[in-house]
Order: sequence, then structure tokens, then C-alpha cells
Amino acid sequence: MRIAEHVSPCFIPVMLRAIFLLLACQLAGEAIHRITSLPLPGAVIGMVLLVGWLALVPRERPTLTVVTGWLTAHLSIMFVPAAVGLIEEGPVLSRYGVGLVTATVASTLLTLIVTALVFRWAFARFAPEGEA
Amino acid sequence: MSDPALLATPLLWLTVTLGVFEIFDTLSKRCDRHPLLHPVLWSTPVLIALLLASRTSYETYKAATFPVSFLLGPAVVGLAVPVWRERARIRRLAIPIVLALGAGAVTSIVSAVGVLALFGAPREILASIAPRATTTPVAMAVAGQLGGVPALAAVIVLFAGVFGAMVATPLLNVLGLGDYRARGFALGVAAHGIGTARAFQVDATAGAMASLAMALNAVVTAALLSVVALLV
Repeated sequence: MRIAEHVSPCFIPVMLRAIFLLLACQLAGEAIHRITSLPLPGAVIGMVLLVGWLALVPRERPTLTVVTGWLTAHLSIMFVPAAVGLIEEGPVLSRYGVGLVTATVASTLLTLIVTALVFRWAFARFAPEGEA
Repeated sequence: MSDPALLATPLLWLTVTLGVFEIFDTLSKRCDRHPLLHPVLWSTPVLIALLLASRTSYETYKAATFPVSFLLGPAVVGLAVPVWRERARIRRLAIPIVLALGAGAVTSIVSAVGVLALFGAPREILASIAPRATTTPVAMAVAGQLGGVPALAAVIVLFAGVFGAMVATPLLNVLGLGDYRARGFALGVAAHGIGTARAFQVDATAGAMASLAMALNAVVTAALLSVVALLV
């Protein structure tokens, strides 16, 4: 974040390039999603494409780090409009509320336990050098 | 509040949304980011109350706040950056990461859908809970594509994150899991962004592992559910 604190005018075009890269990846992802009718969301395909691009053209990308850092830091407010959509889901909530809470609690607990135990087991079983 | 021209501009609800969120965000910051004070948890009911009080339709609100929700897409694409940054760690811990991620993603989907099915929920509700372990924007997109309700998915994910972030430390202590890599990774898989924020508070390694787990799980869970959608 130290770069964002003193943004110089010549920094702006580089910033636009980072935004362009994100949008281009998302656009390509959406296109692939539509053409192949793969149910994977376009943005997720875009994320995979961006990893590929970063691997293909490896270089320092301080602006991309700043832009994505800013987006990630403000992720919460971006889904507020969607959460407000609950206004139209009153009947579903009153009918399945208990089930939804029970299922979410059970699934979160089980996932935490299974993931942590499998990670520990696999780590001990296939202990990589220098990481023990 | 009765001037239709002002109520119809995107400016009003965009400003109100940012303002309400900012109030709860400040409160959450003051209280050391306690999961129960997650700003979305509190700004959502307040905004719903404001919409009901002003007799504004969700349609109008949704259109007005489009500039905010549009940013979700680029934000998801941006998750590529932490994955790329942690590539050395991914290579070193490839086997534990792949196995734990696969086991965690399958457990999450099967247990959530399984338990909810016991309550007799129809397919659109099951589709809304299936991606509950992914980060909210991905869960919303996946739920939408499976025929679920994106708003419901958003709230389920939010609840899972708050709950996971709160129980993780005591639960993993009871299990005797002291390794911060395993703990952080589990939090990222089970409780996405909110779990990741919690992991960063506890330990830097746990935080890095959690953000990695969140990004990878977004792809794995979305891919698994895509396959399921093609088969069912």
C-alpha cells in the first residue's frame, strides 16, 4: 500500500494498464463462458487466465498489486447490493431458515475439521524438505 | 422524500449505501474487526429497512448500486495476484494443498446440500447453499448458474464466514492442530474472506495460507459444481 500513498501523475497511466488487464481477463473469461457454455463463472475463468498471463510475462507489477489490493480490501461493500436482495426472499427465509442455519453451521464445522486434518496428515506423510 | 426525480437517480441510493456501510465499517474497525460486527451483517438490514420505509423497489435499488456491484468481477479476477505471489509455497506444499483442498471442497458441498435436503428444501435453495464455502461474488455467480438465488447465496456465505471465523480458534485447539499452515488453510477453505481476515489477525503465515486457500477454493468449488450441473 506504500505506493498508493504518494500517487504521482505519471503513475496514473500504469494504473489504467492494471485496470485494463483485470477487465480484459474478465471479458475473455466471460467470452469463454458464453462460447463453451461452461457453467464456471466468467470472472473465475478470468482469474485463471490472469494467473496464466502472470506466468507467461513474469515481471514486477507493483500497480497491479495496489489495484487488486484495493479491490480485495473493499470486497465487502461490493456484495451489499446483492445481500439487500434478501428483501424479496422473505417466504424462503421463514420456511427454510432453520434448515439453512443448520446446514451452514454443520458444513462450516465439518469443512474446517476435514481440511485441517487432511492437510496435517498429508504434510506429515509427504513432508517436503525445508518446510518441516 | 416524495420527489420522484430525486428518488429515481442512482446518486441517492449509491450515497446512502456508501454512507451506511461506512458507519458500520468504522464501528467494526473500532472493535478490532470482531466477526459479529462485520459491516455487511449490519448495513444490509438497515438498507432493507430504508428501502421498505421509502417504498423503493429492489429493482430501483439494484440499478442504482450497479457501479458498486460491478467491481465484484474485477475483484475476483484479482485473486490471481495472491496465488501468483505464493507460487513458491504452492510448489513446496503441493500435495497437502491439493489433498486438503479437494477434501475440504467436497465436504463443504456434500454436507451443506445433504443437511439442507433433509429439511426438504427444493433445488433452487440447494443450489444457493452448494457454493457456500467460496468467496461471496463467486458463490453468487455459481448459485445463479445452478438455478439458485444469488441474494440467498450471499447471505449464507456471509453467515458461514462469520461463524467459521468465530469457532475456528477454539475448534482447532480442541483438535490439537497447532500448525498455522493447516489452521490458516482450513479457515480459507471453510470461511473464505472473513476467515482469511481472522487468520491474518492470528498469524501472518496462517493469513497467507488462508488467502491462498480462498482463491484456490473459488476455482475448485466452482469447477466441481459445474461438473455436477452438467450431470444433474
